[in-house]
Amino acid sequence: MAAASEDSALDRVLARFEGPNTVGNSYRFWALFLAGTLALASGPILFGPYWAFQSSLFLVYAFLALSLSVVWGYTGVLSFGQVVFFGIAGYTFGVVSVNFGTPLGITGGVLTGVLAGALAAGVLGYFMFYGGVRNVYVTIITLVSTLVLHTFMAQTAGDKWTIGEAALGGFNGMPTIPNLALGVEGAALTFGDVTFYYFVLGLLVATYLGLRALVNSDYGRVMVAVREDEDRTRMFGYDVRRVKLAVFTLGGALAGVAGVLNATLNNYMSPGVFELTFASLPVIWVSVGGRKSLLGAVVATLAIEFLRFSLTGELAFIIVGVLLLVFILGLPGGLVPWADERLVPWLERTVGSGGASTPATTTEESD
Amino acid sequence: MSGPLSSRRGFMAATTTLAGTALAGCLNSSSSSNTIKLGILEDRSGNFSLVGSPKHKASLLAIEEINNNGGINGKEIEVFDPDPQSDNTRYQDLTRRAIKQERVDALWAGYSSATREAIRPIIDREDQLYFYTTQYEGGVCDKNVFAVGPTARQQLGSVLPYLVEEYGSDIYTIAADYNFGQLSADWVKVLANENDANVIGEEFIPLSNSQFGSTINRIQEADPDFVMSMLVGANHTSFYEQKASAGLDVPIGTSTAMAQGYEHRRLDPPAMANIYAGVNYMEEIPTKRNTKEGGFVDRYFNKFPDAPYLNEEAENNYFSIYMYKKAVEQAGTTEQEAVKEALESGITYEAPEAPEGESIKLDGATHHVDHHMWVMRADEEHNVEAVEDRVIPETFLSETVGCDLTSEDEETQYTPQDFYEEAG
Amino acid sequence: MVNGLNLLFQFLDSFAFIVLAAAGLAIIFGIMGVINLAHGEFIMVGAYATTLANIEYGLPLPAAMLAGVLVTALFGLVVERVIISGWLPNTIGQLTLGRNVIEPLYDRLADSMVATWGLSLVMVQGVRILYGNSLDQIGTPLGNIAYSGFTYSTYRVSLAGVALAVLLVTFLVFRYTEYGMRARATIQDEDTARAMGVDTERTYMTTFAIGSGLAGLTGALYAPTITMVPGLGSSFLVEAFVAVVVGGPSVVLGTTLAGGLLGTINAVFSNVYGTFVGRIALLVTAIVMIRFLPEGITGFVERVRERRQEGV
Repeated sequence: MAAASEDSALDRVLARFEGPNTVGNSYRFWALFLAGTLALASGPILFGPYWAFQSSLFLVYAFLALSLSVVWGYTGVLSFGQVVFFGIAGYTFGVVSVNFGTPLGITGGVLTGVLAGALAAGVLGYFMFYGGVRNVYVTIITLVSTLVLHTFMAQTAGDKWTIGEAALGGFNGMPTIPNLALGVEGAALTFGDVTFYYFVLGLLVATYLGLRALVNSDYGRVMVAVREDEDRTRMFGYDVRRVKLAVFTLGGALAGVAGVLNATLNNYMSPGVFELTFASLPVIWVSVGGRKSLLGAVVATLAIEFLRFSLTGELAFIIVGVLLLVFILGLPGGLVPWADERLVPWLERTVGSGGASTPATTTEESD
Repeated sequence: MSGPLSSRRGFMAATTTLAGTALAGCLNSSSSSNTIKLGILEDRSGNFSLVGSPKHKASLLAIEEINNNGGINGKEIEVFDPDPQSDNTRYQDLTRRAIKQERVDALWAGYSSATREAIRPIIDREDQLYFYTTQYEGGVCDKNVFAVGPTARQQLGSVLPYLVEEYGSDIYTIAADYNFGQLSADWVKVLANENDANVIGEEFIPLSNSQFGSTINRIQEADPDFVMSMLVGANHTSFYEQKASAGLDVPIGTSTAMAQGYEHRRLDPPAMANIYAGVNYMEEIPTKRNTKEGGFVDRYFNKFPDAPYLNEEAENNYFSIYMYKKAVEQAGTTEQEAVKEALESGITYEAPEAPEGESIKLDGATHHVDHHMWVMRADEEHNVEAVEDRVIPETFLSETVGCDLTSEDEETQYTPQDFYEEAG
Repeated sequence: MVNGLNLLFQFLDSFAFIVLAAAGLAIIFGIMGVINLAHGEFIMVGAYATTLANIEYGLPLPAAMLAGVLVTALFGLVVERVIISGWLPNTIGQLTLGRNVIEPLYDRLADSMVATWGLSLVMVQGVRILYGNSLDQIGTPLGNIAYSGFTYSTYRVSLAGVALAVLLVTFLVFRYTEYGMRARATIQDEDTARAMGVDTERTYMTTFAIGSGLAGLTGALYAPTITMVPGLGSSFLVEAFVAVVVGGPSVVLGTTLAGGLLGTINAVFSNVYGTFVGRIALLVTAIVMIRFLPEGITGFVERVRERRQEGV
């Protein structure tokens, strides 16, 4: 157990990303993670640009799932309203990029879109948390906000709802949102189907690792403390409201990233994102994947969306509904935590143990 | 005389290679040499399944009939028809798949205007030949889009003048609170102007609303000669039942009720009494092609005995598939640009909506159809009969705005605002 | 123009809609801590059962409505046993694997939302597959009230009376029946109640059945006035949720007060500005109420009362 002195550089780096708040603290996990990422990266090569395009959508949704996972799984705020920030960011990006179609304008659109999502979350969060709203009532407010936005945006048809060149379009939506371009005229990065996929994949991996580090840091511990027992955490001197607001705003920014990427991927934005059916999707993804696991959010999103899109025919909704029931009743903690706590040890026992854990973790567990 | 082609062998090699490439090109093209592939994306579940299912069914009917009659230029029609489930994201995905993987020769997709707008960027990027067959607000001037359903101006333009003559000139508008409803209400104002009538009040109702108590009171307060209703969707259908139970019996002109969602079959009489629908087609229109033995209605219910109704959009899908067939035969190829040109040359077809001896014409410049419009009235027992009919050409794009796709490629949607600007 | 009678009838209409939409949901949420996102679909079951009983099987309307209520209550019972409490899977699990398979959903707010959302998907699509995209509709009975150029449907106004009757009956059941006593004990402190011999599991089962039956009643009552499509439940969901949350923990009083407040706001704004503003006003009121009275009206009242008692 004198492992501390044997910490390699790799172990020190990995230690940043490991901890009790996330699943997978071993070399084997990271090897699997790498393998998974490489598998995703090989998709376009194996399956072509159409697959890349369709899968880009799922990767974008994963950002939305992560936004809810951070807010719900780690701070205990169940929000049906992540799609509000998703939509506001998407529309903002649309308005800016339609008005300023140059690469610089589009890049500006990306920044303002994400900012708009974060700002909206900040405002709503302040209203709720500093007003003392808790638990299910937070959820209901976020749900009602979604409905308000839907009712409002659906009637923004007509010429007076135009910001510069961009018509909000009401129920019909805002088409002709340009493709993503980063940089300035002449030195801009533009994307095709496949390159956009890699861009989003890279961004997702980076975001995931960043969130993992956050969640395993001291601040992450505070987040979890707020989730577990608000009152006790407050008694220890932490400003619980500020924590919730900060994390909620971060969630809004993440949802905003998803919204901007979605708008530029589909070249289209509509009030459909504020409908109850879409608003409940992030809750479904995170519930099935494991609300206390970032990885669970991502994995579940990709799996569920891939399944949903493959199912056509009458029974599609029924299959999704039954699957949801089975998962939430049978694996209430979620898929990834279950896999970590039950499946992997079971595999180890039956198949025989595999690689060793990283030294840092072993030291912790031996406490 | 040196070089690879100088020798006979080189020449033969070159020719074979050329032939081989040409052949390979044939095999990679959109349809194999003896089938034509059509994409039919219509909702069979979700919010729009009630009005989407008949569209899907009528498309299959047309395709079956054509195939039984030797196909198009001897080629059989293959169908790519997954269910988009009233979900616009899915529509986008399936449209991409239809164009890029299935390589359909022509695409029919979507009920709502929102769906059309969601997929139009994809259509325009790929220059895909696309038929939009639902009644809509009008104004789409796009080189790839053939909007063959009746426009609001055509529909309202058939029923409003009739009602002004029958009942008087004070009009009250109730419309769904979104693009289609708002733009239709604008057209009501334009048509009222043209017919010496006045719109004395307007109300816009959110799509999610199903309680109409205050709306009914406001109509009673305004006391109009008749009401123009552009209510849309299942929630709004409750209006008719609620108005009947409140005893409100003012005549109502509509472009949306009865023909799409067959309210006169579903609601208890006399909910739809005195309702006048301005449409190009309803199951009840009295043309020979529609009602005779072996006519459109018979053939539809023969193939689909459990179908509840044959609605307006179904006929639009049906005749547009036949128009496509004519265009391909005229162009001699399924190559999409050639077919679009053939369509722009002015295709006509003897559609069920037109009386015996007449046909309807696809206007090449605007990609819209000069429809044969009917004013259909439901009585206290919900029997529907025609009170007036005439051909109403598409005038907004052609005359007011000046959309001419035969000479200029465009991809825009015009609104009544443009009408006011143009008309002064 | 605000015509007094108009406004009164619109208020009664709104009040009835909100109270009847919320009733079943309030009971289930208040007692069991379960959020039933399939509540709208339970209403749909009641409406469909009533319509089918009346049109297909020729039952007169009151009998058809009763059939609607019973069918929904029975369906709720099955759902409770299979999904909410997990009794059926657990019994099977005990017999085959020797252990319980799933945990009950009581007091698991988020999980109950997800589970009932899955249930709602199955219900809507299932009904669509079984009965098609729409059903023929029953006509609204009872004619209309006419007054100085206006008319209002008698039936819709009388629904306000039915709503009050529902509230009254619920109150009486809670106060004077054995079930009511068990239910109130369980709300207050489940562990103590169980320790004192209350069969909480049976209480939950009965509660869910009653809540479902109430939802079925709403569906039965509104069947003659709304379009019969599989998705009809969603038009009740918003009002139901908002009323439950604004009302607070006291089931009967909370629902009544919420119905009164929200009904007034909706009626006034709709009357003066139109249905769009009426709807937005309703939603905004809900947000403001939740923000300033996070535990609902009755929660606020209770806290005031507690504080006053402490002050004495």
